[in-house]
Amino acid sequence: MKNIMVAGVGGQGLVLATKIMAEAALKAGLDVKTNDVVGLSQRGGMVWGSARIGKEVHSPNIPVGEADILLGMEPLEALRWKGLLRKGAIVVINEKRTYPSSVLLEQAEYPEKEIGDLEQDYVVIRVDAVREAKEAGNIKAANTVVLGILARHMDIDREVWEEVLLENVPPKAMDANIKAFNIGYEYQ
Amino acid sequence: MKSVMTGNQAIARGFWEAGGRLAASYPGSPTVEMLESLKDYDEIYSEFSVNEKVALEVAMGASFYGARAMASMKHVGVNIAADPLMTFTQTKINGGFVLVSGDDPGMASSQNEQDNRMFGKFANMGILYPGNSQEAKDYMKIALEMSENFQMPMLLDITSRVCHSRSMVDTGTRVEKEISGFSPDREKYTMLPPHTFKPQHEMKERMEKLSETAYDIPINQLFEKEGTDTLIVTSGLMYYNLLELDPDVSIYKLGMVYPLSERRMRELADKYSKIIVLEEMMPFIENELTLLGIPCRGKDLFSFTGELHIEDIGKGLEKVGIIEGSEELEAPRVQTVPRPPMFCAGCPHRPVFDVLKKAKVRVIGDIGCYSMAALDQWDASDIMISMGASVGITKGMNKMMRRNGDQAPLVSVIGDGTFFHSGMTGFVNLLHQMDEDDNMTFIILENSTTAMTGGQHNASSGNFTQTDDMKVDVEAMLRAIGFTNVRKVDQFDYKAMKEAVKEETGRNGTSVIITTRPCALRFKIREKNFYVDPKVCIGCRTCVKTNCPPIRMKEYQGIDKLKSFIDPDMCVGCSVCAQVCPVGAIKRSQ
Ligand SMILES: Cc1ncc(C[n+]2csc(CCOP(=O)(O)OP(=O)(O)O)c2C)c(N)n1
Ligand code: SF4
Ligand code: SF4
Repeated sequence: MKNIMVAGVGGQGLVLATKIMAEAALKAGLDVKTNDVVGLSQRGGMVWGSARIGKEVHSPNIPVGEADILLGMEPLEALRWKGLLRKGAIVVINEKRTYPSSVLLEQAEYPEKEIGDLEQDYVVIRVDAVREAKEAGNIKAANTVVLGILARHMDIDREVWEEVLLENVPPKAMDANIKAFNIGYEYQ
Repeated sequence: MKSVMTGNQAIARGFWEAGGRLAASYPGSPTVEMLESLKDYDEIYSEFSVNEKVALEVAMGASFYGARAMASMKHVGVNIAADPLMTFTQTKINGGFVLVSGDDPGMASSQNEQDNRMFGKFANMGILYPGNSQEAKDYMKIALEMSENFQMPMLLDITSRVCHSRSMVDTGTRVEKEISGFSPDREKYTMLPPHTFKPQHEMKERMEKLSETAYDIPINQLFEKEGTDTLIVTSGLMYYNLLELDPDVSIYKLGMVYPLSERRMRELADKYSKIIVLEEMMPFIENELTLLGIPCRGKDLFSFTGELHIEDIGKGLEKVGIIEGSEELEAPRVQTVPRPPMFCAGCPHRPVFDVLKKAKVRVIGDIGCYSMAALDQWDASDIMISMGASVGITKGMNKMMRRNGDQAPLVSVIGDGTFFHSGMTGFVNLLHQMDEDDNMTFIILENSTTAMTGGQHNASSGNFTQTDDMKVDVEAMLRAIGFTNVRKVDQFDYKAMKEAVKEETGRNGTSVIITTRPCALRFKIREKNFYVDPKVCIGCRTCVKTNCPPIRMKEYQGIDKLKSFIDPDMCVGCSVCAQVCPVGAIKRSQ
């Protein structure tokens, strides 16, 4: 069983990310359950999604301390879900910061130190997914870069991911998304 | 064929496979996607109606005509639809009728946490309670069958987690159901006394019959383990969360949570000395067992509010020794800087609340994206209860303020979606007993969509976008019913907005301001971005306080003081920050 947590900011398109994971699992003949946050938080609030993929999945909820991979689409949001992780889990962090209200208004400080400290307990992979996506030709493909990194750590064929990806993006964004996926997959 | 679906999609699929003909809904989390998915099926007439009451009535009409029908809504929507529902349930259902209620344990996006299983019982409906997408699809079909067999409306009660969670579903083909048509029968369909007397007995009888079938319907599943004296009675997602803990107990999983089979429950009570009920929110099943005189535990072990996660269930079961030594777990979420929601970049609501905040007036709010004005970073709206409530509340408070010698103006904000949903009637009521010293300013935020729930159409969207067909002219409508002081304002003309608020609050009477800018997110509005010239910026933070996601203070090289900065990737060029800047430091890029 692989437990994957995705965390980000409302508007980043996490629902599509968990959908792609679910469909990849289906194509690979595995069982899957996902969660998503839908509602008020989608207006720039904290949002998250999760996918549990394996032979047989009962609950869609990841038990505390059992997440294997955390995809932090924003650094502060990655930090927020630390408690869910097992020891030695993989944490992918998209470096592009989106500052919450209290930071914009100078009432709180962005927790840079705590985000840096994640490296002490977890395998942290940092990526400027927005820049990589721009490179691939579409700034909106940032999540795809991160999905590419995820794919590398899953027992699902690369082709399966690519197939599902193509089924889920508009025709004119296909090229950029495949490029973005490959950048992620090969990311060191 | 196997596919992965959310619970919402699965319900739509189940309705289609079962030969469903008409579906009506009103948007609200967690059920929005149900109707949106139904739009994919040509055989089904579907609509987002103007509110939940109308949605229920539209579905009732189809059912009376012998077509399979469903109405879906968020839990609080059932309050709006309650009046027709409570009498419709007295009739003998013709075409299968299912009401889908999306409950929201934990209130991820709701103003309350009401447990609509109570409503189901109150309205004499059988209640099915799915726990994953496969069940959501299957139960929809079963509910339609039951509705026709027992001639009662059925409640499919689903929680937000199950609505939004994806899991595997075996899909089938559609089985056409004929539309049987309507045969007038006053006794059955005209709920006037004396025709209402017999239905009271019939409702009781049909429920008793349904409860007999509850003894062995396949969706009530008993999983027995050898050598245990404990039975956990549960339903929905809680069953699947419980499986994660793999406890050494027998489990009775209720697909139908109401009515229970008395015979089955007594048999189980004889066999098991300990019965534990595991359910989210109210002690519903627990109370049913208690009414039967069956001793059980439940809410003393598990919280009556919020979602019950695997860990919460573990802790509850540890108290009765079923699970041992579940180690002290960390909270899944660490304490760090919170991230409350914000108005989008370019949101048309931003300048309105910036003006109201600076005007220091009392603001009565309503429900929609503009509810965010009540958050700490704005603190620009003081009351929020339920959709449309702002109008009556404002009137009542205004009357008492004046009688109490308080002459302060009162401002009320309402979105266009909420105006059509349930604000209109309140506006008509404003015209009754107007007093000279009234001072109420109603701002209708006409952003041409129901934004909060994902940008569905509303009754005036057609004025702005060709893809929608309803073009109600709010101003003409208000004038027609008798309002004389109505004006339209483009709120991206900051000065004009400020003037309008100043003038209307500065004089007595009842006035209406309609703001005209559309939702930036729904209509993907993006113009050339603005930037800050740090050499002109004086660091006063007036722009930062408009709380637009791209604006913050930043260190510039070679400048000591922090100066404002706009993230060019995020700015959509609405110009509001530039208009509030006192020194003209913010300019549009070329
Ligand atoms: C009775 C009821 N039904 C549905 C909802 C879900 N809901 C929340 S806000 C909203 C409407 C928002 O539309 P509008 O008033 O136009 O404001 P906007 O979000 O566009 O600013 C709805 C339908 C609810 N809270 N209560
Ligand atoms: S969705 Fe539309 S109305 Fe809601 S905050 Fe964003 S721009 Fe404003
Ligand atoms: S112009 Fe200013 S207020 Fe408007 S979207 Fe850009 S940064 Fe925000």
